[in-house]
Amino acid sequence: SRRKRARARHKPCELRELEVSVSELGLGYESDETVLFRYCSGTCEAAVRSYDLSLKSMRSRRKIRKEQIRVAYDDDVSFLDAYNRYYTVNELSAKECGCV
Amino acid sequence: LASIFSGMDPATTSKSNHCLDAAKACNLNDNCKRLRSGYISTCSRELSATEPCSRRKCHKALRQFFDRVPGEFTFRLLFCSCKNAACAERRRQTIVPSCSYEDKEKPNCLDLRGACRADHLCRSRLADFHANCQATFQSLTSCPGDNFQACLGSYAGLIGFDITPNYVDASTTSITISPWCSCKGSGNMEEECEKFLRDFTENPCLRNAIQAFGNGTDVNLSPKN
Repeated sequence: SRRKRARARHKPCELRELEVSVSELGLGYESDETVLFRYCSGTCEAAVRSYDLSLKSMRSRRKIRKEQIRVAYDDDVSFLDAYNRYYTVNELSAKECGCV
Repeated sequence: LASIFSGMDPATTSKSNHCLDAAKACNLNDNCKRLRSGYISTCSRELSATEPCSRRKCHKALRQFFDRVPGEFTFRLLFCSCKNAACAERRRQTIVPSCSYEDKEKPNCLDLRGACRADHLCRSRLADFHANCQATFQSLTSCPGDNFQACLGSYAGLIGFDITPNYVDASTTSITISPWCSCKGSGNMEEECEKFLRDFTENPCLRNAIQAFGNGTDVNLSPKN
């Protein structure tokens, strides 16, 4: 299963989704409404540029800790909370993922 | 993975109700989510201390939602069945009534009808409602041609106009629908006014149609719309 984990870790960068309750988002809202949380995950091996090689080198020299994946954000999402107030949250989910 | 996560959460399953399920179904559909969020953000955006929202923009966003989202989503949100007050309150809140429905004063219903008739679209939607939800003794369901779908569709078609109807409270046992108006000050038109108002408040066809949808006893659950 170690091999399986290694393979999972090497999945290319892609959009994934999870159905979660608004309360689980950790934004301080209390609501049982379910929203679709889309996020970017995976590796960026397929898009290696000079930038990435240098980034890797910096990391190995412990000058940088983690690499970033940029995303385009999804449309706003609105919900009614446990106290019957409406809220709208923007830039909650990813819409597009890319290795940049 | 997503379904396992949401299905196993005991907190969400114990609190689940049909109105919450309807909101979930909408949130998981990109089109429904976008247009629902569109009217909710517009209708709950405060303009100033004196103006809680722009009713004109809120109504427009509501009309877009009900025009462009299929009935399988919008009807579920509007007509979900409830066993507790939290659910019924959520159902009442569907159209953001503080902005789209309630007002400082209650106008006379005939004045409201007059305002609606001055707008060609509102006028035709109201005519549809009267035709499709007209209580009749000639059918089992009290609806013309036993057509619940047509009545529910014309009810939804009134939302976002001057005559916007809504649930008057969060009661789970009795469903009462009304536009935001009263028959006070009707003068010699009192009877005419009461008759108009009763088409909403005491309409067995409308009530049966809503209850049948909520219970799932209506056979045609997915309107073309």
